[in-house]
Amino acid sequence: MSLKRLLAVLFFTLVYVSAPGCALLRQAEIMTVLAGSEIKDIEPLLAQIEKETGVRLELTYIGTLDGAEALLDGADYDLAWFSHGKYLTLLQGGRGLVVTEEKIMLSPVIMGVKESKARAFGWVNNPNVTWQDIAEKASVGELRYAMTNPAASNSGFTALIGVATALTGSSDAINAGDVNVPALQAFFKGQALTAGSSGWLAESYVAAQDTLDAQINYESVLLSLNESGMLREKLVLIYPKEGIITADYPLMLLNGGKRQAYDRLVTYLRSPAFQQEMMRTTLRRPVVPGIALDGRIPNPLLVEIPFPNSASVIDSLLFSYLDEQRVPAYAIFVLDVSGSMRGRGIADLKAAMNSMTGLDESLSGRFARFRGREVITLIAFSNRIEETKVFRIDDVAAQGPTMAEVRSFVNSLQAGGGTAIYTALVEAYRLAEEAQRQEPDRYYSIVLMSDGANTDGISQRDFERYYASLPETVKGIRTFTVLFGDADEATMRRIAELTGGRMFDGTKESLSQIFKQIRGYQ
Amino acid sequence: MDRTRIIFLSIIGVTAVAVLGIFLFRPRPQPVVGLIGSEKQPFFQDERVQAALRRNGLDVRVQKAGSREIATAFNLREYDFAFPAGVPAAQKIQQQYGISTSYDPFFTPMALMSWRPIAELLVQQGIATNEGGYYLVDMVKLLPLLQNGTRWSELPGNTVFPVNQSILIRSTDVRKSNSAAMYLGLMSYVANGSNIVQTLNDARLLMPFLSGIFLRQGMQASSSQEPFEDYLVKGMGHSPIVMIYEAQYIAQAALGDATLLPDMVRMYPSPTIFTKHVLIPFSEAGHKLGQALENDPELQKLAIEYGLRNSNLAEFRRFTAEHNVRLPETIVNVVEPPSYEVLEGMIQMIEQLYQQQGGQP
Repeated sequence: MSLKRLLAVLFFTLVYVSAPGCALLRQAEIMTVLAGSEIKDIEPLLAQIEKETGVRLELTYIGTLDGAEALLDGADYDLAWFSHGKYLTLLQGGRGLVVTEEKIMLSPVIMGVKESKARAFGWVNNPNVTWQDIAEKASVGELRYAMTNPAASNSGFTALIGVATALTGSSDAINAGDVNVPALQAFFKGQALTAGSSGWLAESYVAAQDTLDAQINYESVLLSLNESGMLREKLVLIYPKEGIITADYPLMLLNGGKRQAYDRLVTYLRSPAFQQEMMRTTLRRPVVPGIALDGRIPNPLLVEIPFPNSASVIDSLLFSYLDEQRVPAYAIFVLDVSGSMRGRGIADLKAAMNSMTGLDESLSGRFARFRGREVITLIAFSNRIEETKVFRIDDVAAQGPTMAEVRSFVNSLQAGGGTAIYTALVEAYRLAEEAQRQEPDRYYSIVLMSDGANTDGISQRDFERYYASLPETVKGIRTFTVLFGDADEATMRRIAELTGGRMFDGTKESLSQIFKQIRGYQ
Repeated sequence: MDRTRIIFLSIIGVTAVAVLGIFLFRPRPQPVVGLIGSEKQPFFQDERVQAALRRNGLDVRVQKAGSREIATAFNLREYDFAFPAGVPAAQKIQQQYGISTSYDPFFTPMALMSWRPIAELLVQQGIATNEGGYYLVDMVKLLPLLQNGTRWSELPGNTVFPVNQSILIRSTDVRKSNSAAMYLGLMSYVANGSNIVQTLNDARLLMPFLSGIFLRQGMQASSSQEPFEDYLVKGMGHSPIVMIYEAQYIAQAALGDATLLPDMVRMYPSPTIFTKHVLIPFSEAGHKLGQALENDPELQKLAIEYGLRNSNLAEFRRFTAEHNVRLPETIVNVVEPPSYEVLEGMIQMIEQLYQQQGGQP
């Protein structure tokens, strides 16, 4: 054996023996994360996290309830990371899904009010503004705000719990019997924009800022908006006196086998270096003591509202929001039943629609189903309007007559003929306009599901001309488009953009999943 | 191959084997894995503590959990030791696993953290006294405010903290954590006319009040590090008064960083209650660790740096004086927690109330 060989063997033996302790020689360990979309702004820091900890985070984004449900159903992720983990903790009961958790950063859920409005109300630098004050302005139409759907997104969820607790007049943790429905109805009269995600809400606020006065969101999102230069008028941050709820972004370990990597991760994420960088880039507050607050983050007295200690209290709050408190929805579904839908397509569509009649008993299904007080209009189209039917949901029982009627309509649909997308859409707006005249106090939205290009009826240009001629209140009705089969993506994207809606891709997930998500926007 | 080369190679070879041998067969400290109450995590993470333990032949790795959770939510046979805070949690573990041995290397009194404006407000109300460097809170006088659900804004002359929140002491979840169990023990004594609750019947009578001081807080942390950290980070609006272990404060003060603001004040409830930290061994290595923590002077000294009290009172006094932590000369008014059966019974009654509310099991 030559000297060189011997030394080489010696060297590699030593390297091999010492490698487990040596980060440089190790390949990045991959950890999968089921995350709320509110975590997305951490992405620019992922490379740094990998460098410091040897852990590569692979994030999959999902909504609040969908996420909790996926985890309860045993979805296979190493970590979960949402703006708060309290609901999941309550739901999991003694099942021990979460091995351990550690808070990573903080951001209270508050309201940002346009400066001119805040000034007019005397709310600038006023520490005495209450949720009650906000409810009063909202109920008389003086304050139109954006807030996400509490059953779909964490910021709305957190806000609902805070507001509902504050409006009980008590200051202890809320119980199911305490809910002050009239006060909450007044408060939610002002909710002029809803959404299934806080990110989309912020974007849509920017697009519709001239028609809105305020927004409920994470302090970090509101501060970022103010810095973005995209607002014509800055938002004054209101920290209502009864208190707020602070999101604390716990990193939850689900896979106990990856404890060591988790510990490394948490040690780094809670280090002053990361906390400072995180605060600088996302404007969230540090969670570990001893780090001075960034000068851009206000420092008022943050009174914390107690978070309920019961999943059933939270469930009843969410149901009450949907069934009693919120402005009732008027949802129009424009459904393509052209020839290409024959077979699987129409079957999927029927399944998706039927699941919303109370047949889907999963956690998310229970919240996404058609709710009391809602009006659901179904328009089936091919190369012409096939059939239109309006359902007033006054009886929510899955086996009751109303839901049975919806199902019998859905089940009678037959595929055939061409695709007149714009003709059907015009019909939807025409119906909406008429309904809005009679019932202005509803939240109007349109869902357009299609699996092909426009082949019949009026053209895109005709539609856009028609849309431009609509009164502002009708124009404000958003269309959410769903790609299905061989849908024409450009067309669907354009319609969503034009009307301020959002496009969903039903070619990758089931139509039922997509419709559930869209329910968050209705 | 010439001779010098052979000799040279042999030397290299022998050296290499020797180096490898030493590397592979050097005496390694025994790995010892345990579950601890979170408040002791910083102690075990300290490099000096780890070094001192290694000198005792122990390579200690810890996982944290709520002290009462340790007794209920884990299979402790998979560990070398459990190290909860509090005799009640320890007794629960000992009963469950039929283990009679235990070590109690250190203890700490329960304390309250608050804010100068609030402390002074309580002085004004005749509930607290300023002892210079710390406050004493007369729990008997505080009791009616807790019982009646009085809000901060309802205190006469309160201009410093006029919020609508009820006057409550923030604590951990009594079903999971020892510091909350100590708080329960303390308040049960005060609410029982300054008598230790002796029977479950007596406890039942006090339940409407005692359960309220926990249930009204909403969701709580399962482990005591969190409320103290929340206090430090989230401020007066979040945590007007929070129940902690004295040790947590001393350890923070000893860091000497800017975390403890001038307005952050320490109060001692009067009466207060002591928490012993009890180690229960499940293996030979666990025993060894218990003995080391009780007897190794270096470890005893390091424990004091984490604010814990033990038999070395002189060192404790020296250390706290060095870090300007003013302490009561003696803590006179100390009560014993109720018996294990009564305290455990009370916790279970509260647990049932949580479940009636549809709370987590």
